[in-house]
Amino acid sequence: MSSPIKKIMVYIDGTEQSVTAAQYAICLASFSGAELIAHYVINTKAVEDLLRANIFLKEEQVEYEHDMEADADRYLNYVNELALKKGISIEKKRGRGNVHKEIINAVNAEKVDLLVMGELSRIRSRRDEFYDEAERAMRAAPCSVLIVKDDERVWEMYQALV
Amino acid sequence: MELIDLVEEKIIRIPLESKDKPDVLRELVQILKDAGKIDDFDKVLKAVQDREDKKSTGIEKGIAVPHAKTDAVSSLKLAIGLAPHGIDFDSTDGEPSKLFFLLIAPPGLAGPHVEALAEIAKLTSSQSFCRTLVNANNAQEVVELMKGE
Repeated sequence: MSSPIKKIMVYIDGTEQSVTAAQYAICLASFSGAELIAHYVINTKAVEDLLRANIFLKEEQVEYEHDMEADADRYLNYVNELALKKGISIEKKRGRGNVHKEIINAVNAEKVDLLVMGELSRIRSRRDEFYDEAERAMRAAPCSVLIVKDDERVWEMYQALV
Repeated sequence: MELIDLVEEKIIRIPLESKDKPDVLRELVQILKDAGKIDDFDKVLKAVQDREDKKSTGIEKGIAVPHAKTDAVSSLKLAIGLAPHGIDFDSTDGEPSKLFFLLIAPPGLAGPHVEALAEIAKLTSSQSFCRTLVNANNAQEVVELMKGE
């Protein structure tokens, strides 16, 4: 029987948890032979909200979006290097807009079988449940979602991968 | 790191002693200094003042969100000040500001910086939450309110 997982997408947001998720996804791709996509979403929705709330100036909107694009490239390149070290090729994707919607759009567009995400923040209030973008993506994803935990164990697994 | 993870008693001052905008900015930066969150007071203050010189971060309904990006910090830093009687902060609606959230970020953390500011915007969009917060008696109450909201 061939692997039921043909295409894996790992969501990268610059947190250590998302890098751990990428290490796990690289291992999974190696074991299953699945294609691997790393997806980073630049949260332009939050920047627009700040502009509307008069917290940001127009020039700050431009500056921060530029900075976030640079962050996205840096993290995607880092994850790409992690994959290459283990002989895995990775497709880098960069989205912009509302984070959870962009993740779901990408999952649908790429016909992803498995979405891999870093450990979610602890939900401390109903507001978190409504607004946490990763939480919303996990709940709304049309495919199976794997939440990666235990960074030390994952690192050991990644290191052991030949 | 999320906004809520930055909230602790030592970065909260009630009430602020300042009477005008320049003093508020100094007092907020001093909170960070006193809490051991920053080393270079002058550099952080200049970054905040430079941003305020472009346009006041005093938004509507008594809220002010002074912020800046500077290499004087290596991670996000938050200070919260309450001024129940209000301080003139050149707000967009002309009303005195009562709730101050100072957020400082290093270059290279644009995403978390934006998300923390957006979190403040969301929190302060609730008028009932702001009313309760501004009437908090001590830093512990502020922490509990922020973490419980």
